[in-house]
Amino acid sequence: MPEFETVIGLEVHVELLTNTKLFCGCSTAFGADPNTQVCPLCLGLPGGTLPKLNEKAVEYTIKAAMALNCRIADEITFDRKNYYYADLPKGFQISQFFQPTGRDGYVEIHLDGRSKKIGIHQVHLEEDTGKLLHMGDIISSPYSRVDFNRAGVPLIEIVTEPDIRSPEEARLFLQKLRSILRYIAISDCKMEEGSMRCDANISIRPAGSKELRTKTELKNMNSFRAVFRGIEYEVERQRSVVMEGKEVIPQTRHWDEAKGITKAMRSKLVSANYRCFPDPNLPPYKLPAEWLEEIRKSIPELPDSRYSRFTGEYGLPPYDAEILTASREIADYYEAVLTGYNEPKSVSNWIMSELLRLLNSTNTGINDCKIKPEDLGKLLQMIDKGTISGKIAKGVFEEMFATGKKPEDIIKEKGLTQISDEDTIAKIVDSVLAGNPGSVEDYRKGKNKALGFLVGQVMKETKGKANPQLVNKLLKEKLDR
Amino acid sequence: MNNRSYSARQLKEQIKNKSLSPQELSSSIISLCNSVQEKYNAFISIDPDIISKEIEALFDDKLKVGDNAPLFGFSYSLGDNIATSGYVTTCASKMLSTYKPPLDAHVFLKLKENGAIIIGKTNMEEFGIGCSGESSYFKGVKNPWNTKHTAGNGAAAAVLTGVVNFSLASDVRGELRQAASYCGVFALKPTYGRISRRGLLDSASSLENIGLMAGNTMDLAAALTAVAGHDPHDVTSLRSEAPDYISLLEGNSKELQAAVPENWQDAPYLEDELKDIFQGQLKKLEELGIKIHFVQLPHFQHSSLTATIISAVEAFSNLANYDGVRFGYRAEGRHLQEMYTLTRSEGFSSKLKKFLTFGALVSSAKYYNDYFLKAQKLRSVITKELEDCLQRYDLLLTPTTPFRAPGPGILPGREELPDPAGYYTAAANLAGLPALTYPLHTKGLPYGLQFTGKKEDELTLLKAALLLENENTLAFPNFDFNNQGV
Repeated sequence: MPEFETVIGLEVHVELLTNTKLFCGCSTAFGADPNTQVCPLCLGLPGGTLPKLNEKAVEYTIKAAMALNCRIADEITFDRKNYYYADLPKGFQISQFFQPTGRDGYVEIHLDGRSKKIGIHQVHLEEDTGKLLHMGDIISSPYSRVDFNRAGVPLIEIVTEPDIRSPEEARLFLQKLRSILRYIAISDCKMEEGSMRCDANISIRPAGSKELRTKTELKNMNSFRAVFRGIEYEVERQRSVVMEGKEVIPQTRHWDEAKGITKAMRSKLVSANYRCFPDPNLPPYKLPAEWLEEIRKSIPELPDSRYSRFTGEYGLPPYDAEILTASREIADYYEAVLTGYNEPKSVSNWIMSELLRLLNSTNTGINDCKIKPEDLGKLLQMIDKGTISGKIAKGVFEEMFATGKKPEDIIKEKGLTQISDEDTIAKIVDSVLAGNPGSVEDYRKGKNKALGFLVGQVMKETKGKANPQLVNKLLKEKLDR
Repeated sequence: MNNRSYSARQLKEQIKNKSLSPQELSSSIISLCNSVQEKYNAFISIDPDIISKEIEALFDDKLKVGDNAPLFGFSYSLGDNIATSGYVTTCASKMLSTYKPPLDAHVFLKLKENGAIIIGKTNMEEFGIGCSGESSYFKGVKNPWNTKHTAGNGAAAAVLTGVVNFSLASDVRGELRQAASYCGVFALKPTYGRISRRGLLDSASSLENIGLMAGNTMDLAAALTAVAGHDPHDVTSLRSEAPDYISLLEGNSKELQAAVPENWQDAPYLEDELKDIFQGQLKKLEELGIKIHFVQLPHFQHSSLTATIISAVEAFSNLANYDGVRFGYRAEGRHLQEMYTLTRSEGFSSKLKKFLTFGALVSSAKYYNDYFLKAQKLRSVITKELEDCLQRYDLLLTPTTPFRAPGPGILPGREELPDPAGYYTAAANLAGLPALTYPLHTKGLPYGLQFTGKKEDELTLLKAALLLENENTLAFPNFDFNNQGV
């Protein structure tokens, strides 16, 4: 069986977090009733108003292009892409065709311990279309309804080079992209709500071959998992078409999440004829060097650089660094804890095992987390000082997570302070030994298990507050005497 | 009393000293409108109620029009592709025959502020494209000089008959100036961006301007002063403030240097009589102290074709929203595609469809580089040529159109692209320069003399027009509408 290589290029659309649309003052809030966030301009009504560029959207696009290592244009144009579709009110979409904001960038992904650069062909700004609402699925629905709330919402489109070689790389790329875009806070990148959408151009070729073969474009993948599964299925489908000696037909295909298959939507044989030309109502827009410099300065440290710092400066294992730096807020939180308690690996363990587990199980975002970073630091210090045991600390941590109380208050309220006074513990040890002669006997016969039981009894007596090292030490001393 | 004596200044006096009642004035204006409409089909909408209300407001101090408003007592009309929320705004198309726009145009609001009264919405070519009198859904406008000939548009006929003091209409490749030339009135297409395009239902945004027509230079200047200026809602609008043209016109003018393209006689369908008249005018101008220089403008002759290609592509895109989905005319279809096709087939005239098809063709992947891209390059060349010429001279002088108002069956080059009527006018649209047409009343139908000026230098054009106007007596026809007059 011949070996094939998969060639994938992605087109990712991301809705920007601006309050208003790209060319009018309508709100961009998600989830409003259909056609309530519209005006004559975004509805394409004749004799309405003229488009007025939202500068915040331009700033966000520049920020994204910079974060994706692109070259930034010194002048951008807004061009019309002309076509008819019911979700397109003006009969054209305003996009950037001749002079996009950014070109020739890259995103680095980590795969099996090595890193790989996925090229970014361009980053440009455009307006979103309306949304067609269907009865059931798009193919069987007898009619469509149109909601124009989304029409005119600013989008950036990120087009990759055909550098992606597997569904896993596609997924990793998207996750990295989302992470970067969330770091710079230009989009919430929610695939389920459609604020991040991904189309994949997929083709296969014999391994070792260099030219690009006929591709299909895959749409409707609404999660990272769907992107992975959709591409995986489509690659398999193309492979079996080729193995049967047939040709892959250029077409747009639709991912059916429920059935787990891709379906043909429309042929791509007739090449698109968009008649692009500069929008005469929007003169070329200059990007002054000082403004670009200002924007560049506002970009925070990005995941890659943070990852290197976390593995280098803090000596974290790559796995920890990857997880902690995937979200800017988590990484910020981690570093905030470190300022009060400088034990990088220990803090990482607590965040990765305890904090993230609770955040996930309660569906809470890190920004809504009630535990203040300095309080987590205090808690960890208390373990080190022997004020409380690690086991008790976990209970205190859960209480802090639920109530936001300070660890010292919880410990005081519940009397959880560790008993580290030798005399106190010695008395309890004596009474336990007196009360369990059978176990003492067993221990002396060489049954080491009995020691564990006796420790447990002491802890039970002290409600877990006794310093376990001390209990062990005292028990052994008395038994071995 | 004939209609031309109906002047805004006299009217202002009569209103102030109450020698005239609002009812008298309204009924007189409405009856004049009706006569003009009946005879020449100049209007698409006239609303007697709106006219009466506006006039009452002039008389009523409480309504705050204020007789010191610069255009107090001036009446005007708007081309029917300029949005007014009170009137239907049809673009002379079946597509919009019942459409009321959501907002008022910037110019409408400015004129209201300045105390002018709107008389109605004037007839025009469908979507303001062309000036041949063939494509209005409401039928063509008859030329008051000779009703067998076209007036070009209703704005020119309304000014000529005196039913309004001035009118506003759009100019894509010279339509405003051509119609003014056909009717023998003054017209000014200002610099691109001098008047906000907000509320103009335009077909070709990069070429199209709102322009003005009037029966004399001072009215033109008064109207321009009212509507010119920066509009933050139109990003293509000029940033600079517009001057008070009226007060500047009072100053003395320096000696003007005028350029004339040496091959001005190469225009197709150029009338022989016009050659003599134009040469006569050049002599006259020299006598008035305007120095004439013949210059070479090798690409000027391609301006109409260039503007036709660009305007057709932009119109194809600008008019893509007319799909029957959200507003305007909608045909029934079995599915979306059929609804689109039938809506546009039935809603647009065959002339417009031909034009849009041409725009679709020259911007298609196959012809994009050879036609559309070439036209864009040519536009830069023509612009550069004109700007260089106007660096050295104050204005460029040409006829406005190569021929007078076309009559039945004698429309020159009707099947041709480019439109031969735009031979002299289209260059100003390509370069975004101001251009003014001065009326030449001759035996029979009138001609026009066009001055094209530097960017933002409308003043020089107005000064030149005033100079000529003061030396000539214009022979406006005396229309007999059997009206009582005011």
